[in-house]
Amino acid sequence: MARRILGGRFLAPDPRTEEPYRLTPALALRVGMLGMLALAVFAVLFLRLWALQVLSGAQYLRAAQNNQLRTVRVPAPRGPILDRYGRTLVTNVAGTEVQIWPSDLPKRRPERVRELRALAQVMHVPLSQIAAAIRKHRNDPLTPARIKTGATELQVGYLKERQEDFPGVVIANTYLRAYPHGSLAAHILGYVTEISAQQLKALKNDGYHAGDEIGQTGVEASYDKFLRGTPGVAKLVVDSLGRPRTNLRPSTLPHPGNALRLTIDVKLQQAAERALQIGMEDARASTCYGCWNANGGAVVALDPRDGSIRALASWPTYRPSLYVGRIRQRALEAAGLTGTTAREQNYPALDRAIDAAYPPGSTWKPVTALAAMEEGILTPYSDLQCTGSYTVAGHTFNNWDPNANAWMNLPTALAASCDTYFYQVGYRFYGMPADRGPRLQAWASRFGFGAHTGIDVGPEQTGLLPTPDWRRATYTKKSDPNGWQVDRLWKPGDSIQLAIGQKDLLVTPMQMARFYALIANGGRLVAPHLLEDVEQPASNGRRGRTLPTSPAPAPEPTNVDAGALEVVRQGLLAATHSSYGTSVGVFGGFPVPIAGKTGTAEKVLDPGDGYPRLFDQSWWCGYGPADDPTLVVCALIENGGHGGTAAAPAALHVFEQFFGKQATQTGPVHSD
Amino acid sequence: MAVEYASRAEVRSRRREAADVASFVRRLDWLLVGAVAALVGYGLWAIRGITQHDVTGNTDYYLVRQSLFVGAGLVCLVAAVIIDPAWYRRHWRVIYGGTAAVILLVLLEGSVTRGSSRWLDFGPFRFQPSEFGKVFFVLALAGFLAERTKRLADRRTTLSAIGLAAVPTFLVFVQPDIGTAMVYVAALAAILFVAGVRWTHLAILGALAVLVATTVLWVAPAAGVHILRPYQVQRLTGFFNPNSDPGGATYNIVQSKNAIGAGQLRGRGIAGATQTTLHFLPEHHTDFVFASLAEERGFVGASILLGLYLLVVWRGMRIVTLARDPFSAIVAGGLVFALLFQIFVNVGMTMGIAPITGIPLPFLSVGGSAMIANLVGVGILLSIHARSRVRR
Repeated sequence: MARRILGGRFLAPDPRTEEPYRLTPALALRVGMLGMLALAVFAVLFLRLWALQVLSGAQYLRAAQNNQLRTVRVPAPRGPILDRYGRTLVTNVAGTEVQIWPSDLPKRRPERVRELRALAQVMHVPLSQIAAAIRKHRNDPLTPARIKTGATELQVGYLKERQEDFPGVVIANTYLRAYPHGSLAAHILGYVTEISAQQLKALKNDGYHAGDEIGQTGVEASYDKFLRGTPGVAKLVVDSLGRPRTNLRPSTLPHPGNALRLTIDVKLQQAAERALQIGMEDARASTCYGCWNANGGAVVALDPRDGSIRALASWPTYRPSLYVGRIRQRALEAAGLTGTTAREQNYPALDRAIDAAYPPGSTWKPVTALAAMEEGILTPYSDLQCTGSYTVAGHTFNNWDPNANAWMNLPTALAASCDTYFYQVGYRFYGMPADRGPRLQAWASRFGFGAHTGIDVGPEQTGLLPTPDWRRATYTKKSDPNGWQVDRLWKPGDSIQLAIGQKDLLVTPMQMARFYALIANGGRLVAPHLLEDVEQPASNGRRGRTLPTSPAPAPEPTNVDAGALEVVRQGLLAATHSSYGTSVGVFGGFPVPIAGKTGTAEKVLDPGDGYPRLFDQSWWCGYGPADDPTLVVCALIENGGHGGTAAAPAALHVFEQFFGKQATQTGPVHSD
Repeated sequence: MAVEYASRAEVRSRRREAADVASFVRRLDWLLVGAVAALVGYGLWAIRGITQHDVTGNTDYYLVRQSLFVGAGLVCLVAAVIIDPAWYRRHWRVIYGGTAAVILLVLLEGSVTRGSSRWLDFGPFRFQPSEFGKVFFVLALAGFLAERTKRLADRRTTLSAIGLAAVPTFLVFVQPDIGTAMVYVAALAAILFVAGVRWTHLAILGALAVLVATTVLWVAPAAGVHILRPYQVQRLTGFFNPNSDPGGATYNIVQSKNAIGAGQLRGRGIAGATQTTLHFLPEHHTDFVFASLAEERGFVGASILLGLYLLVVWRGMRIVTLARDPFSAIVAGGLVFALLFQIFVNVGMTMGIAPITGIPLPFLSVGGSAMIANLVGVGILLSIHARSRVRR
């Protein structure tokens, strides 16, 4: 059978008969040469192998090990922010972050684009943003580009299952800022985002790197150096697609950021923010003109003894958590945090307590009173007539109460907030010799107006303290072509209106609170501050400790006469307790004696209908207990009507929380 | 029912046949059989370690596949041993035409992977005719030259042989598969050499080859004529200057050398071979399998492999001298030299002393066509040996 298949040639026949073929010497030579060649080839291969593996193996081993090792920066958890009693205001939570190591992306453009497009679809992040993030990290091989923070479990699972399709995409754990109280104290705390290109340029020498988180506003920004901590360095084994294959092996441990303890009291802060709502609701419920538009405000509460801020509220506000992780532009727009939508939402990012200036209205009268007494143009206990209006040089200035007609001394005039009384004082300032300069303004300046308060968050406005020089500089032929010759002059009306805190004068609520603290503490100007101390957490075997930080500057004496202060204090106490006081209806029934002044400041505003007109800004500033003040509160409700309508009830709410006592009665108030 | 008895002659014939078979089996080159068995076994063991982390959830995916190929290859090997080489000599035209036709078919119909069409699909398996071509092409050319043993000194014989060889070589070259085309050229050179072409012809051909190579790789690109694509030129010449572009064309070579060097004397083991398991080394179960082996098993393991190759090549060379006729000698010479060439180019490539070409490492790289074709080649060598002039 085999024979048949193989044609009977299964076995080689006898070579001598059928195949006269011999191994010729020529063939032998050639095969010999082939053999030599083969030997040479194997010799070369063996030698090369020996050289690679034995002679320089150690060097290649190092190269192979470096190949798989990647050095990464390990983010340090940012320090928490606590209130004065150690209650958490801001903390961190663990989050997953989707990152791209640009160097591990496919080398070919179409593949890279395909991968990024798929990633964009999975993560719901626009492709353009991914491209921008990668572009930003072009020169920084140590940090990956952040594509999305706070990825959902579903997305993370999808990417993990399809790692082959997503070379260079890594899922990392990060710390995310968490705000247990939502929007509480948003303006104080501020928010954190990835460092911008400009910031990086400016801060490169301070140890900031691309991809770092940096505080943008509030204490997050001003105390960033304490909060940020020191990132560590770790090594990680990765495969050729950049996917991590081991856990991080730290070579330098990250130092977590320090805890920031603020002077804020969470409970009081909550009360202050509630107080703003109360004030605005009261305003809107009242019948006063324009109060329907009460839509903003600020409350400052500070300790008059040292300037530590207990609460600092501003409305409208926002949730700092909008800035956690990848920022969604649409969410920011909806919250009014972008340039285009801020106006619709009445500027929620604006901290009205320090960064907005308002005419102070009657809350200013103590300034006028103190300055007049110091200048000797007013004797507190000799009476001036309080009338319904006051006419000087052909101009008539009205009192808020047109029916007033009584002789008043200074405390009474403060308590009843008589405008005409202070018009006369203002006119006396106008009549002072010009060579002594504007004395009211000089005293106001000494009380901290027209300048930054120096609070440790920013930005801050100085407000405006108008002087004859300011008028001359502001109203020029260029800026005011029609009436500059008249407008540049300081006229009696300027002094008269300044005396009651109107016309050009602008102050911030913080400046006002600082001035009332001066009244309360006997004439010392405090440095308002938010930082209580900085606490280093226990880590790496070190025990936690409080770091030495420069303490807030001590209150500065202004050398204001103690007697004059006492007169003003009497007036302020009367304002809240005497029958003619402007906020007696609010504070009269409160068990702790509170002293303070209402204010109703007229401000020209466009409520949004295109017709700018005067709206009343509701103020109340004061302190308590009146005999030994421990808290100053200054409340402002925008378009809140009279001071007693909106601001005083708001301030009362803060005092109620602070002293833990309720007012027995609050009634409608007849006030300015 | 009639009972049939075997006739006496039949019984004798059967006995003789049995004796023939036993004698034939004894006349196989058992040292070659042993060497190839060791090589295949060693290769499977190496593949098991190298591809353990390649397919998630199935550590033995490639091992099982490769074992199936080895099984198929062994069947083909036995068939090749049984077939008398003279059969190939008589039908060399059919073999030549068939091989060229199938390679042409691949070019027209084959499935495209990474820009080149080398395969024909058969269900879950892909068939790469150019690998089988390495064997059949040697058979065909040997058949052609064996018919002209008397006119070997004639220039026309040499030129016709080259012309015959040029067709399949060109078809493979345009797939494009430069590596296999180079193997064809090497085999052709060996065939002409063993067949006894005149030294002067060989010298002229050698000079021409050098001229063509330099023209294609350096002169023409410099003059702006691109016969090869730039990446191909870069791959072919990159080993002269391995660090010129570590991220691009020479990335493989840098990673391959790192892998081999890191293996050192004793190897890093399966788990420790990070170049392989972390995929820094591309194509580590096919083209760069030697680098993976060297990383995992070190100098010792790689040397065992090279030693086995040397054994096979030595036995193959010996078969050239034992062949009973010029055809067998030429076939053996062509097969052995093609094998040697593939070993050198592949191993040399991984160590940075040969150009980067997609030549698989015989008996080791995962791939059915190459494994089966190589085992068929061994079968032909065994067949030649068993029918050789000298009894062992």
